Amino acid sequence: MTTLRDRLITFIDELRRADIRISVAESIDAMNAVVAAGLERIAMREALAASLIKDEADRATFDSAFDNYFGAPPRERGTHPDQSGQTVSAASGRGRPGENPVSVEPQAKPRPEDGKSRGKHEAESKPGSDEAAREEGAGEGETSQQNEHAEQGVEAREDRHEDSGIEADRAAQMRALERMPFERYTVVEYEAAREALAPLVRRFRIRLGRRLRTARGGRIDLRRTIRAATQRGGLLIDLKHRARRPRHVDLVILADVSGSVRYAAELLLELTAGARGCFHRVRSFVFVDHLCEATFESGHLLMEPAPDLYARSDFGRVLVELWDRRAGLLTRSTLVVIMGDARNNRRPARADVLAEIARSCRGVVWLNPEDLARWGTGDSAINQYARAVDKLIPVRNLRELQKALLRVA
Amino acid sequence: MDVTRGFVAEGLTRARYVTNERVTMAIFLALVLEKPLLIEGPAGAGKTEIAKVLAGTLSTDLIRLQCYEGLDEARALYEWNYQKQLLRLQADEDEGKKWEQVSEHIFSRDYLLERPLLKAITAPRTVVLLIDEIDKADEEFEAFLLELLSDFQVSIPELGTLKARERPVVVLTSNRARELSEALRRRCLHLFIDFPGIEQERRIIELKVPDLDARLAAEAARFVGAIRKLGLHKPPSIAETLDWARALAKLGVNELDAEAIRSALSVLLKHEDDRAKVESKASSLATRSR
Repeated sequence: MTTLRDRLITFIDELRRADIRISVAESIDAMNAVVAAGLERIAMREALAASLIKDEADRATFDSAFDNYFGAPPRERGTHPDQSGQTVSAASGRGRPGENPVSVEPQAKPRPEDGKSRGKHEAESKPGSDEAAREEGAGEGETSQQNEHAEQGVEAREDRHEDSGIEADRAAQMRALERMPFERYTVVEYEAAREALAPLVRRFRIRLGRRLRTARGGRIDLRRTIRAATQRGGLLIDLKHRARRPRHVDLVILADVSGSVRYAAELLLELTAGARGCFHRVRSFVFVDHLCEATFESGHLLMEPAPDLYARSDFGRVLVELWDRRAGLLTRSTLVVIMGDARNNRRPARADVLAEIARSCRGVVWLNPEDLARWGTGDSAINQYARAVDKLIPVRNLRELQKALLRVA
Repeated sequence: MDVTRGFVAEGLTRARYVTNERVTMAIFLALVLEKPLLIEGPAGAGKTEIAKVLAGTLSTDLIRLQCYEGLDEARALYEWNYQKQLLRLQADEDEGKKWEQVSEHIFSRDYLLERPLLKAITAPRTVVLLIDEIDKADEEFEAFLLELLSDFQVSIPELGTLKARERPVVVLTSNRARELSEALRRRCLHLFIDFPGIEQERRIIELKVPDLDARLAAEAARFVGAIRKLGLHKPPSIAETLDWARALAKLGVNELDAEAIRSALSVLLKHEDDRAKVESKASSLATRSR
């Protein structure tokens, strides 16, 4: 006979296995919460969610884990009291959710309908009411098929009232996409990521801008200091500082657009193009086996001259080309960001040239979209380059890409 | 006070806050477990409102700290009232008092400017402390707040340690302008509030704008639900929806046709691009909202 406490501990372990981070303190909170809320099914689920799930993106994972573990609700499935609160609408004619006490026995075998992984937007809809959504955000949600959550067997909540939880859904998809490894991208994810990039760029700009604006250190703003001093009988107690100017950083970006890393490269270019205002100057280049300047014209990537996408990567040659063009490009305030897997087809790596470049500018950062386990295997020259650069950062998904850019910018 | 879920639900109903099990449960737990409640969700979904309703339910005061970039302890916790201290010093000087006597009292509670956090700590009874838009404050402030939330006491060098007699009920809201620290998330209970569904919004409109025709209220709710899906810069908040519903009632609109939509759109949408977008679709949206 297992106690409720043991049941909760195993349930929490299950959540942890699904990559939700739960601290010891939180599990204690969860137990207290269940004691306070009682064992009635919905109450217990909401109590556990409030104490364990601190990120709406994890909510779907939690819901399905809860159903698996504590038994799915009875056939009258209308239970998930989603954001809109009401689970019943006159139009959809569903009954009240079955509010029966939980059967405190883990379900050995999931119900047949639990196994189906559904897309998020399959909820049946009243005719005409969500065409507006289809007009605009068509295709959002398609990617949820392949996302990590899907692997964990998460099914989208059934019986969602179709007009609720839009923001929550969007946020959850967004975050799933942010965590999806670039290597698993197909055109579908790439398009979804591009769609999603606008808010990302905005957030990125805000964060970057905020870092630049926080007035600490920097020059003293005499006028505001004097004004503050009048409150202190003329004593200059509060020093007021001028907001920092955007730092004088020139960004030079080199992105490998061959084969598998192409999507990562293009997203990097778009993300930085969106944050142009935060830098003094941004020049972007793409390469496979030689250097091509890339510019964005109203959202389209233009490459001049066009790179031969079917060539074989030659990092060494590209580095030499960059070094030859250093005159108008590399100064003391230039930050060079290189994105690539350093798979060089056994050609000379020319890490010496990279070291030269690093010496002649502010710094070189290498972003590698490849899975860490494969660094340095086969024809990967990343270890040679690692010694020549200032920072080497793995960027396996959108989230890491953002983080890396914030770190170096 | 004996807090039960029924008590919370009743309080919300009395305050005419239309809500659901999830919200009720989160508030109930925050009260019972005495833990801060972190509420996230899009702007205008009614996050701040919860704290207000909560204060009403507990019939106590609401102390609000609005966060912004660069918010520091002086603005959030306490400051010495320099002007008053200076005046005191000058007055004492005229009387020829000794430094010891003076310094004794210029650093007393009379010369302290209590900011929201200290007010909440020194309050004689349980208050609701709303820390609004914590994501706007910077990381340093968040770390300081974390410390404060763990033991509700503060040390003022000249006065010693002040400790809360009654722990305030703490509500934090965030719009996710930046990621909050894991430590803060771990410390709080979590609640995500999204825009209401059409049915729920209809009930809200009917409750708060009684002089709008019921059929029109339903149409308005459907319409707002539809335009929130258009991916606008600033989707209409519940408050804006209510203002708009009031405007419709005032204008004596009988049915929500393209004409009626255009007439009061500026109440609902505060962004030029958004307005243009919705206006161009006004007629199709109107037919769909019926």
